[in-house]
Amino acid sequence: MSSKSQASQAGQALWSKMPKANAELFALTYGSLVTELVRDYEDPIEVNAQLDRIGHSIGVRCVDEFLSKADVAGMGMATQCQNLRDTAEVVAKIGFKMFLGIQAEVGGFSQDQRSFSIYLHDNPLSTFVELPPGDESSGGDDLSRLKYSNLYCGVIRGALEQVNLKVECNIVRDTLKGDEMNEIRVELKEVLADGAGDDYKEE
Amino acid sequence: MSAPVLFVIVGKNEPLFEAEIDTHSSVGAPGQNDLSTRQNYFVLHSALDLVEKSAWTTNSMYLRVVDKVNHQQVSTFLTAANVKFMLLHGGKGEEVVKNFFNEVYGYYVKLSMNPFYKYDTPITSKAFEARVRAAARAYLS
Repeated sequence: MSSKSQASQAGQALWSKMPKANAELFALTYGSLVTELVRDYEDPIEVNAQLDRIGHSIGVRCVDEFLSKADVAGMGMATQCQNLRDTAEVVAKIGFKMFLGIQAEVGGFSQDQRSFSIYLHDNPLSTFVELPPGDESSGGDDLSRLKYSNLYCGVIRGALEQVNLKVECNIVRDTLKGDEMNEIRVELKEVLADGAGDDYKEE
Repeated sequence: MSAPVLFVIVGKNEPLFEAEIDTHSSVGAPGQNDLSTRQNYFVLHSALDLVEKSAWTTNSMYLRVVDKVNHQQVSTFLTAANVKFMLLHGGKGEEVVKNFFNEVYGYYVKLSMNPFYKYDTPITSKAFEARVRAAARAYLS
């Protein structure tokens, strides 16, 4: 199956057509966002939830852009993904590549094929970032529970929600905490019925 | 056996970073006794006025040697935001010290890009300290 390399090529082609932004500006903007959130909410768990919410709004919009651009480019992605594996490939190879320019990999498929992992070797959001060392003395918050890149989880959740896949995402490995790579675990909770809601159901 | 060098970064109100670096041993130097360490800090800080003075005489960032006490010299590098990198040493070459300062300046800029580092506050990053010590060993021994 050359679907893997097809996906990579598609991702590459779409990335070349997207308008670009300065990577440092992007990282610094995200950094300021996170530090403001930390200042406002103090509790790292709350900040993670906020980042997820923000990511959700972004994801909802990204998926429309993705679907329209992929169709126009005639990638043949107008054909639906047959299973979760295809979805995972599309998200990692095309989605991440198109919007961030990074090469992400999938793996870690579970037995029941309902969850997978996305591996990121470089994370453009965390350029220059170092989590401050924990202070036992200061009343300060312990930022070790902060998931700096939690935005990605929200984006994936929001995007897949729009195509009727309800998922739960978590960051399980983070280079900021000392791991060699970033890993996002995505679990399919349910496939939502296509629906515009009860009001529109025909009598 | 040359004496350890003392490297201090001074912000607007207070020192942001201090490191006593023994360029000849493999660990950071606890070898010196307290008295001469304190004396060194005193010498370095009293040179701050002279730094201000010589900052007006040149428009480059590297201010060379601003003060000489006994056998020791204080060299200074001024960043664009008036943060002072000061080195107390026993007569290293000017080029050598300049290269060291430039390297540390690079690390300092990267550190200040960290969103969690608040500008003009003491530097607590272990990575930064390790890099500064490595640079000192590379350039100043």
